[in-house]
Amino acid sequence: MNFLRLGLWLLGRERASGEWRVLLLALVIGVGSVATTGFLGDRLQRAMRDEGARFLGADLLVTSPRPVESWPDNPLATAHAVEFASMISRGDAFQLATLRAVDDAWPLRGTVRIAPRAFAPGTPGRALPPPGSVYVDPQLLPLLDAQVGDTVRIGEAAFRIAGVVVEEPGQLGGVFGLAPRVFLRGDELDRTQVLLPGSRITYLYQFAGAPPALDAFTRALKTRLDDTQRTIGSREGVETLRGAFRNMDAYLQLTALISLLLSVAAIAIAARRHALRHYDQAALLRCFGATTAQLRVLYAVQLFTLGLLGSLGGAALGALVQQALGGLILPDTLARLPALGWKPVAVAVASGLLALAGAALPALMRLIRVPPLRVLRRDLPPLPLSAWLGAAISGAALLILVVAYARDLKLVSVFVGALAALALVLALLARLALVAGRGMRTVSRGPLRFGLAQLLRHRFDSTLQLGAFTLALFLLGLLALVRTDLIESWRTQLPPDAPNHFLVNIAPHQQDAVAAWLADHHLQASALYPMVRGRLIEKNGQPIADTLPPEDRGDNSLRRELNLTWTASLPANNAVTAGRWHGDRRVAAPARGTPSGAPLLRSDPSAELSVESGMAERLHLALGDTLGFRIGDQTVAARITSIRNVKWDSMQPNFFVIFAPGMLDGLPASGIASVRVPSGPGSPMSGFVKAFPGITVLALDKLIADIEAVFARILAAIQLLLGFLLAAGLAVVVATLLASLDARRQEAVLLRTLGARRAWLAQGLMSEFVVLGLLSGVLASVCAEIAMALIAHRLFDLSPQLHPWLWLVLPPLGALLVGASGWLTTRHIVRVPPMQSLRALG
Amino acid sequence: MTPPDSARFPASIVQARALSQRVPTADGLLAILSDVALDVKAGETLAITGASGSGKSTLLGLLAGLDIASAGEVHLFGERLDTLDEDARARLRAGRVGFVFQSFQLLPALTALENVLMPLELAGRDDARARAAHWLERVGLAARARHTPRQLSGGEQQRVAIARAFATDPEIVFADEPTGNLDADTGARIVDLLFELNASAHTTLVLVTHDATLAARCQRRLHLVAGRVQDTVSA
Repeated sequence: MNFLRLGLWLLGRERASGEWRVLLLALVIGVGSVATTGFLGDRLQRAMRDEGARFLGADLLVTSPRPVESWPDNPLATAHAVEFASMISRGDAFQLATLRAVDDAWPLRGTVRIAPRAFAPGTPGRALPPPGSVYVDPQLLPLLDAQVGDTVRIGEAAFRIAGVVVEEPGQLGGVFGLAPRVFLRGDELDRTQVLLPGSRITYLYQFAGAPPALDAFTRALKTRLDDTQRTIGSREGVETLRGAFRNMDAYLQLTALISLLLSVAAIAIAARRHALRHYDQAALLRCFGATTAQLRVLYAVQLFTLGLLGSLGGAALGALVQQALGGLILPDTLARLPALGWKPVAVAVASGLLALAGAALPALMRLIRVPPLRVLRRDLPPLPLSAWLGAAISGAALLILVVAYARDLKLVSVFVGALAALALVLALLARLALVAGRGMRTVSRGPLRFGLAQLLRHRFDSTLQLGAFTLALFLLGLLALVRTDLIESWRTQLPPDAPNHFLVNIAPHQQDAVAAWLADHHLQASALYPMVRGRLIEKNGQPIADTLPPEDRGDNSLRRELNLTWTASLPANNAVTAGRWHGDRRVAAPARGTPSGAPLLRSDPSAELSVESGMAERLHLALGDTLGFRIGDQTVAARITSIRNVKWDSMQPNFFVIFAPGMLDGLPASGIASVRVPSGPGSPMSGFVKAFPGITVLALDKLIADIEAVFARILAAIQLLLGFLLAAGLAVVVATLLASLDARRQEAVLLRTLGARRAWLAQGLMSEFVVLGLLSGVLASVCAEIAMALIAHRLFDLSPQLHPWLWLVLPPLGALLVGASGWLTTRHIVRVPPMQSLRALG
Repeated sequence: MTPPDSARFPASIVQARALSQRVPTADGLLAILSDVALDVKAGETLAITGASGSGKSTLLGLLAGLDIASAGEVHLFGERLDTLDEDARARLRAGRVGFVFQSFQLLPALTALENVLMPLELAGRDDARARAAHWLERVGLAARARHTPRQLSGGEQQRVAIARAFATDPEIVFADEPTGNLDADTGARIVDLLFELNASAHTTLVLVTHDATLAARCQRRLHLVAGRVQDTVSA
């Protein structure tokens, strides 16, 4: 009989005896939690992408100044619109508007809300108005002195106003400075006769479809577009959501990693127990003539079979659980998502095998090195496996897993570094805690004294258990902290009085009047920022594209005009990360224009500007670089003296580039400000629109509500993942207890034989577990505080703080968790009559 | 030129020369066995006797190639064991050596039949299952073939172990205190069985015991005191 078959035969026989069950259970729980996190994380990310698509109106938006004649082959859904500026009139009233002629599919994602009057909630639908009519921006009504149902003229054609647009996808996508929106039918565009050769038109193309097709299409498309054409993906749908996406990603990575490590710990402990229980079997097989190579085949085939079974079971469990729970928090999204593919199952199975190999191989390698003499001398341990070999196997397997699961290497390195340091510190702390326990023993009595003595007697086991419990509790504590600190801090970033309206296009002469009107209506506005639009063209005198590697030349900030501002004071929600803020170091504004009318190059070596950190990274900009911008027919250059982090989700006017005062003064600028308007009926903003017809008012209430909905989903997902981590943590607890079960049973039998009462024994066991749990909780609190301080400081730029509730929760939780699972796992050893136990021990 | 080992010890199955075993302890090297010499002929029965700690089991382990001596030589089936590595010694044992242990050493997950089957499967015997059933019948446990060790009494467990030891038709069986865990009556029946099977299979038997009655049934007795051979008695 070959050893492959023999291994399977033995595995099959032992299945009945339940020897493998612990290992299999740990594996199923481990892979199950990883798979759930993976499936759910994957689905949540897709849900988030959907959210972004709803904001954008499509999965992909392409804008072009010319019609795009041909597209790469694709199976995607498409919608098409033409956007241009034109006058719209009613009687004597004329107003410049942004017209968008759409087809019946527009928008592909999300909805347009149309209302019968301004500032009403509206009903969701498509952007296409009924034939012969238009939908208009609510602020157009007072400007034209019109109502819904009135007729307006665009060029040569008349249209009835069929409703007002209260919300549309992409509302914030760079619309600052645009005139009020009007939707008309694409097939009625010719009637207006406003489009002439040379008209400035933007052609908009929406695409939606499955991610792989979309990615392939986007890649093929990017090579065809020139620098006047832009692609906008759903992730870029709204700048405001970018921070939330990034943090979500980071959080899911962290969670996947933690559950993975917990399951590996559980598997390692179970594997150690399994190996210990099979030393006799291996020794006996050696006696019968089995060689090392044969034992290796025998145990490897068992390990592989078990790994495959456990991983498949775990993947199935993960798929089931995520389907059930994912449906609870993402009912809408889940219905639209494609079924789980084989890929995540394959990934889960591969992870399970790898985790099992990393966790169990060192123990099994010791198993095949059992000396045959053990059949005569039961106390004989296996030949020691060189420590570095075991560590190298586990380390390599874990490293592969960690790198495969985590996409953010910075996050991983901080986390893994912290864990490695933790493992070292933990062993030391556990020893110290046990020494402290010795002190307690001298003052304690009865069963408690017995329990403490137990802890101290099995010093190695206790250290291992304490270490494992502490790790589980630490990770749970850390997770709760990360959740509380990071999520709540995002929430508090949006205070209840966050601005909910933007005021755009404020002319310089209107500034005082606007401020006075707002003060009259008791409305609090942000600082007012002047704004000019300019295109970034040069870095250090070279065309900017030439300074970039080819793959970065398509960056959208090079394809469009940027909103540029100047101010002496650093805006709130901005933080300088490099260099120093320019403050009020103004340069004398040169005289405008030149006698010859040639473009003026304004370049002053003392001119300074500040760049947003993300843009600096994407465009490879550094402190000291001089950037040249084309503003109208002029070129302006200044040196980067600071780089800023910007909280895009702050609902304040935010800018990629801020100049020092003096450079741009005198250029035709309009102002932008944000203001908080109480919600509810009778909005004062309809009065504002009447008082300042030229100023565009953008209502952000819906956007804020949407962002809060995104946060609510993130929170729900995180709570869900917390539940799975708890299960993985419990697997560690149970595996550790089972690892010591044989020794405990032996002791219990001995003590009962010697006359110990059952209740006394039970109390002793309980006090041992409770003390172990309490100690773990205290150690875990220490570790979690330290790790959280590191993570908050290094990763999320938050200032570290102490968390007293952690110290109040973790130790009792540890006592409860370890006490309960300890009792459940070991209760039968005090119940079984001593004689029966003695027989069972052989 | 040295003649081959088999030529030097033609009729011997096991031979030991100047065998010593020392283990390091806190107080320096402790001699467990010193200068032991013996020669076991094919078909012979030999008892190794002595008090607890006299080195009986250590000697058995060395003779069976489960361990390597600090000094001296052991030849098993004509092969010098200290020149073989662990795996080569295992291959030498496969199918040719049987064991009976004081604590039975049955695999708890396997039935009685499967425990007997195990060494047959390891030796790659084609008729493994039939042989296992046959040997279980020889020890009087055919009715209990499907029982696991937990469902068997101590005496029954040792019968299974004896069936397992003889099932591969070994040339030699090593038994370590085969009656040590059994009461006197059961022990006596086990001993009868062991000697009966040994005689009918023409197997060589080396057994370790401190039981004088059991030792008396062997053709030769080797008495150890503090790791040294005190006397050798032939029946």
